[in-house]
Amino acid sequence: MSHVEVMTGNQAASTAACLARPDVIAAYPITPQSSVVEDISKAIAEGKLDALISEVESEHSAMSVLEGAALGEARTFSATSSQGLAFMYEPYFRASTLRLPIVMAIANREMISPQTLWASAQDSLSVRDAGWIQYYVENNQEILDTILQAFCVAEDKRVLLPINICYDGFYLSHMSERVDVPDQAQVDAFLPQCYKPDHIYLDPDRPMAVDPLTNGDLLMEYRQKHLEAQQRALTVIEEASEVFFNLFGRHWDGCVEAYKIDHNTKGAIITLGSMTGAAREAIDRLQSEGLPIGLIKIRVVRPFPKTELRELLSGIKAVGVVDRNVCFGWNTGIIYQEVLAAISGSPSIVHQPFIAGLGGEDITIEMFETAARQVVTLAQKKNGSRDQETIWLRSVSEEVHK
Amino acid sequence: MSVLDVLDRPDVISPGISACVGCSVELTLRTVMKVLGRNSVLAIPPGCMGGVGVVGWDKKSGAEIPVFFPLLTNTASMLSGLRLAYKRQGRDGIHVVAFAGDGASVDAGFQALSGAAERNDRIIYICYDNEGYMNTGYQRSGATPKGAWTSTTPYGKLQIKKDMPRIMADHRIPYVSTCSPAYMKDLVEKVEKAKRNKAGFSYLHVLNPCVGGWGFPPEESIEIARLSVKTRYFPLYEVVNGEYHITVDIPNPLPVSDYVSRLKKFSRTSEVALTEMQELIDQQWQELKALEQVGVNGA
Repeated sequence: MSHVEVMTGNQAASTAACLARPDVIAAYPITPQSSVVEDISKAIAEGKLDALISEVESEHSAMSVLEGAALGEARTFSATSSQGLAFMYEPYFRASTLRLPIVMAIANREMISPQTLWASAQDSLSVRDAGWIQYYVENNQEILDTILQAFCVAEDKRVLLPINICYDGFYLSHMSERVDVPDQAQVDAFLPQCYKPDHIYLDPDRPMAVDPLTNGDLLMEYRQKHLEAQQRALTVIEEASEVFFNLFGRHWDGCVEAYKIDHNTKGAIITLGSMTGAAREAIDRLQSEGLPIGLIKIRVVRPFPKTELRELLSGIKAVGVVDRNVCFGWNTGIIYQEVLAAISGSPSIVHQPFIAGLGGEDITIEMFETAARQVVTLAQKKNGSRDQETIWLRSVSEEVHK
Repeated sequence: MSVLDVLDRPDVISPGISACVGCSVELTLRTVMKVLGRNSVLAIPPGCMGGVGVVGWDKKSGAEIPVFFPLLTNTASMLSGLRLAYKRQGRDGIHVVAFAGDGASVDAGFQALSGAAERNDRIIYICYDNEGYMNTGYQRSGATPKGAWTSTTPYGKLQIKKDMPRIMADHRIPYVSTCSPAYMKDLVEKVEKAKRNKAGFSYLHVLNPCVGGWGFPPEESIEIARLSVKTRYFPLYEVVNGEYHITVDIPNPLPVSDYVSRLKKFSRTSEVALTEMQELIDQQWQELKALEQVGVNGA
């Protein structure tokens, strides 16, 4: 039977990783992820986890070790943050183009400069086009549950792609919450027994040349199949979510979650990750005032769930996207641009970008109320401009720093 | 066992690879893999052997054993991961082999290589050192010697060559050696030792003269390699568990000018530079002799 523990987000991640029975783990310490690798190392040292760990000298090697291990038919896990992810970029990209189902947690942290340690999805969103699947989760229970689901999705023959489970540094990585921990037998019943590839491997008994110099025509075929696998993942993620619900009783709504949206809703706030908690609270307050505003949490950014999002927004007049990251060159956040691309065929929807919470700044319930009221105003305006300037939600006025 | 017996073994590298005429790296690779055999996985990072098609797939180019391209920067760490996967499966007999150029070893791939050596992962890492980025058009590397022309040091390199075998020996790994395609018996014996080393990391550093990049006639490859040893420019030695041992003693060395004068890449080398080079060679030989006496542990 499962049991309840109070644990940090990082503990939830390491607990899930251990339950998934990985063969090989490699990770390099970086704040705020470090305790994930510490806890896994401890579990192995104490004999609680039967796995091998490589104490690598860098994130670049962490990902490289896992690629070698996955080519040797091992189930693999790692964790990283910001600068570590950036240093890992070269093998990171290749994990997806080699179609290796590596699972890696990312405790989201702002990118320097200025020097910083705190939360922002700038790190993982900046590599959203490197071919991985990316989940963004809201709380510690969802970290644990999603890592388990990720192994299931990654190793599915219809997908065979690496997966990130992204969660906000400190807000989740270091915050303690109640987490329901399934027992090993339950997880064993949920996950495939082992990773046994038949598409790419290095085995003297079955010689294969892995990744020879490849002409453009064949490369295009590989890319096309990679993109198709990403699209199939939308279905596989929903399936994994359903199967998980049936076994464990917790439902995480696949790729997108709608919160308090019905046929009367005129405006919607879109969120990612841990900020969703404060957003729920703000929506509750405003709905009690009678404002027609709801919430959409995007749980999967790659593949982007455009069809589902369009359906959820079909009756909506205005949408506001709150980004804890920036999209350089667009003067907005990244998720705003993603949403814009998804709803480009719906000219009646007005859209408002918000940027908040960079470098670990708190995104308060009041900020969400401000954002939501702005969206409702836009929804009620006749013939308003579709393009709105970004609103920066800040707790301290700019004058303070002058 | 004689060297000839080894050379009669099946060649697991396909016949059709497109190395330059007179390339001593191809000969080295074929020989090394004859020793290591089919129960091996071969990593060939970007470089000459990647460029000529050893990571091939149609049995006309490539290899008949599992072979792959690591990145230029992660050869050793990818092999660390492979080794762990095989360990997990109890497949300890598989040889996990890197055959990497000096760029992938002493420069861009150095961090991963040093990390894997420090962890003492059981990998056979062979660096074929042709003293530059020869596959991309003869650019300078950390292994290029002082004074040598490359396409990025048109008036000669200003800095001395990184002494990679000594650096690797200072990781205190179980086995390090230097090898030459001109001394095949010595090379084969050293690969055999690496093959038998179950205790951890093996690093073999082979100096491979490059016909195009160094500037000499293709038929002189082996002769140039032999001269590099006979002038003590490239001493042949091994370091077994910290104990240094010169495997090919050169009691009466030829002057380094006999070697330098044969290579177009040193055509701008001045008398002063040549004297400096001779001094460095003499000093390094003395150090090697001293290390042979005391062992790297000072025992």
